[in-house]
Amino acid sequence: MLGKLIKYDLKYGYKIILIVHAVLMVACIMGRFVLNKVDFRAPSEALGAMLAIFIALFALLIAGVSFATCAVIAVRFYRNLFTDEGYLTWTLPATPLEHLWSKIISGVIWYTFDILLCYLGLLILVTGDNVVSLYTQIAPEMTEALGMSFSSFTLYIVLFSLFSTLASVIMIYASITIGQLFPGHRILGAIISYFALSFIIQIFTLVCMLLFNLFPYVGDTMTGSTASHYLFSSLGLGVLLITITAIPEYFITHYIMKKKINLI
Amino acid sequence: MKPILECQGLTKKYGNFFALSNLNLTLERGQIIGLLGPNGSGKTTLIKLANGLLTPTDGHIIINSMSPGVETKKIISYLPERSYLNTHMRVEDILTYYVDFYENFNLSRATAMLKDLEIDTHARLRSLSKGTKEKVQLVLVMSRDADLYILDEPIGGVDPAARDYILQTILTNYTENATVLISTHLISDIENVLDSVVFLQYGQLVLNATVDEIRSQRGKSVDALFREVFRC
Repeated sequence: MLGKLIKYDLKYGYKIILIVHAVLMVACIMGRFVLNKVDFRAPSEALGAMLAIFIALFALLIAGVSFATCAVIAVRFYRNLFTDEGYLTWTLPATPLEHLWSKIISGVIWYTFDILLCYLGLLILVTGDNVVSLYTQIAPEMTEALGMSFSSFTLYIVLFSLFSTLASVIMIYASITIGQLFPGHRILGAIISYFALSFIIQIFTLVCMLLFNLFPYVGDTMTGSTASHYLFSSLGLGVLLITITAIPEYFITHYIMKKKINLI
Repeated sequence: MKPILECQGLTKKYGNFFALSNLNLTLERGQIIGLLGPNGSGKTTLIKLANGLLTPTDGHIIINSMSPGVETKKIISYLPERSYLNTHMRVEDILTYYVDFYENFNLSRATAMLKDLEIDTHARLRSLSKGTKEKVQLVLVMSRDADLYILDEPIGGVDPAARDYILQTILTNYTENATVLISTHLISDIENVLDSVVFLQYGQLVLNATVDEIRSQRGKSVDALFREVFRC
């Protein structure tokens, strides 16, 4: 039953997800082509401005693609379980636990797909000959600043992102499910719940950073291992906290799905 | 034989409002039962409880000796009062969906009925009229070999000719031991197919009698009795 549910969850919205990621890939390939044509040896103000716009555009594109993925996951969960479609979904011979895990697994699959493709796109974008030769010139400084090679640094970031997919998906579902407890304002309830949960996690992160003395000293220049230590401690703490908060979120979601469903 | 549905002290509260209050009811197999009552009398709440879409505040609802769950969902075929299908899907995709999820779904019966009603299985649901969508939903529900069919307002949105076909469909597709529970306001239209009726008001049982009893003992049609009991 779980397999069948996952199949239909993945079937929903796959076209949107594939199209936006295809657009991203094409944009990255074109971007790589453009970067290869730029002459970095002749720095000028115009080149700086152009690069700034270029970077901003790609940052926006990647954020947009990730947002679209996130939206597909959230809309599928909401529509399939809490709108009129819920009348069919909840009367299928499946348990609330199977419904929840089907949504979690399909959500994690889409999130992982999104993260891998976004990083792949970036990799395509910045591994042209031109950029690589330019980077070689500053590589020792970057390694010094990060306390490790740039590729290892990127790998850690990708691993952090992948590790947090499960918790991120559960947080979206928990917000939507808690939103169902406010009849008449279900979507608003879901959005407020999401911000409330994010706020709680941020406060926790802040408190923990203070407790574990993870803040860099003001005025101190951060170099080498200090910078990466700070970055990884705060990132790691963020991932750890979102994972820890996902545990009660998971149980709350399951409880509401089991006992408090009330389709309008 | 065990009753198909039993309610024992069944209560459902929304805040301070009792949608159902201490309802005791037993439905036997092999009947077509009308679930009748004015708006807000608790019909849909009872139907949702039977389908496991709500949890009772108090009391029990038992389907074929089981509490609502996976096993009862396998034997109940439910038609909600609203459009519950993803309208982006094609009719043929929905048929596959039913085949995938319900072991007792009879694909050839469904295909034959859709053909009778001249519904194109390649069409997307959103391209169909409201009435045609309702017909598709009813075909899906009646094509399952279920023990209990629960139909919430099945004929509200379709024309009288289709209404006759639908009632005929209900009559011909349920087996001897199956029970059909129909909630509707259009009593006169379905009166002839009903074996018995359940009247609900303010979440409580007002009457549970066979149509023959109503006619012979009270000398009235169900429609006339309904108008008398629920006079505003």
